[in-house]
Amino acid sequence: MEEIFSEWIPLMLSGCALTVKLFFIVIVLSIPLGLIITFLYSGSISSREKSKARLTKKKSPVNILLWFKDIVINYFLGFYILIMRGTPLLLQIFFIYFGLPFVPVAGEYLTISDRFTAGCVAYVLNYAAYYAEIFRGGLLSVDKGQYEAAKVLGLSDRQTTFKIVLPQMIRISLPAVSNEAIILIKDTALITTIGLVDLLKVTNSIVNRTTNISAFIVAALFYLAMSYVLTLVFKYLEKKFAF
Amino acid sequence: MNMIEVKHLKKSFDGLEVLKDISFTVEKGDVIAVLGPSGSGKSTMLRSLIELETTEGGEIKIEGEVLCKDGVYAPKKKKKEMLDKMGMVFQHFNLFPHMNIKDNLMCACLCAKQGTKAELEALAAELLAKVDLSDKAEAMPSQLSGGQKQRVAIARALMRKPDIMLFDEPTSALDPELTKEVLNVIKQLSAEDMTMLIVTHEIGFAIEAANKIIFLDEGVVAADGTPEEALYNNKNERIKAFLDKVM
Repeated sequence: MEEIFSEWIPLMLSGCALTVKLFFIVIVLSIPLGLIITFLYSGSISSREKSKARLTKKKSPVNILLWFKDIVINYFLGFYILIMRGTPLLLQIFFIYFGLPFVPVAGEYLTISDRFTAGCVAYVLNYAAYYAEIFRGGLLSVDKGQYEAAKVLGLSDRQTTFKIVLPQMIRISLPAVSNEAIILIKDTALITTIGLVDLLKVTNSIVNRTTNISAFIVAALFYLAMSYVLTLVFKYLEKKFAF
Repeated sequence: MNMIEVKHLKKSFDGLEVLKDISFTVEKGDVIAVLGPSGSGKSTMLRSLIELETTEGGEIKIEGEVLCKDGVYAPKKKKKEMLDKMGMVFQHFNLFPHMNIKDNLMCACLCAKQGTKAELEALAAELLAKVDLSDKAEAMPSQLSGGQKQRVAIARALMRKPDIMLFDEPTSALDPELTKEVLNVIKQLSAEDMTMLIVTHEIGFAIEAANKIIFLDEGVVAADGTPEEALYNNKNERIKAFLDKVM
């Protein structure tokens, strides 16, 4: 029992540091990136219709270019989301750390030699895709009447987006965002596969060394505590922004 | 001067002609009730005036200036000036749910830099008093009844100091006992000489408060005149049938 506190806990806490660091970096980068993707993607869907209508009216080079731009953004982001959600995160981590150096021609420039950085890139790209879809759901839930009210009150498109749509969309998305954040806490364990030492890795080596499986229980409590804190934070946010 | 002048307005949705040929004028101080059966194009007509629907044919003039002609709209800046002269109230209120009542009123004015924060707060307080909701300034929209929400929506539209108010079925989503409080506010505005266009199903209110009635039927103006001319003395079979049903 004594060695749990004197030896295990300090080791596990050092492992936790990596877990927590990875978690915060991914959350801080993937949520804004997800928001940007949502607006670009949804924007390209609606402006695609408009630019197509413009093009059928008049086939000028400018109109062709605008239409092409919308098509490219639309397909590119659609494809990105498909790949990120459609393949395992583990495969993506492997691909970015082990695979990128072998890409023909560009491989040399795409190599990310730092394990942690490579891991972060994979997690951020993956989670941004999920967040983009979560926010898109939120965006679709904002009532059409809100846009109409903003318009007749004379708000510009930008003001409508930032003052009316964005706050409501984020509020609607909060429960799903919280869900995804809790999944991320546990997904961080995948980073051990590219040779980094996190909470799970530390625990596993303790178990191997001592043949005492209660280290797993302690690690589980650590994960549980982190998830619980997150749950409380999101509950607070939901309450604060309730309407 | 005519506040609104509409000539031969046309609008269709996917080939279905909703507005076939609408012409009418609104003079300063007019309170016009727009009546007609469901699907007659009342709401579409009203929404066209403030560009929530784009039109394909005909002309709309706001205070003498052309907003659109044959589907071509005025340049952006000019158009915004014209649209800013009109306020609109919706059937489902469309208050901003994430803002309290005071912020709902002030948001658009702050965005448009219509005045200093202190001036706008004073104006908001004055308008809330006018719709008898002074005690709700800090409340959230979800805490209000339907009638209260609609009165807030009216005050919010008035914040932009419009010359013309458009109402799209302002009481259709309300319980009968809440309808009256909203109609009273509209009557009060009419006493202050506000120019108003009201799409409504409240025939009694229309006859009492409006000086003119426009009756739409299948995308055309079936009658246009004082309540007596448009309704009681009208020989149009459709209007007679409509009145028999609703009165």
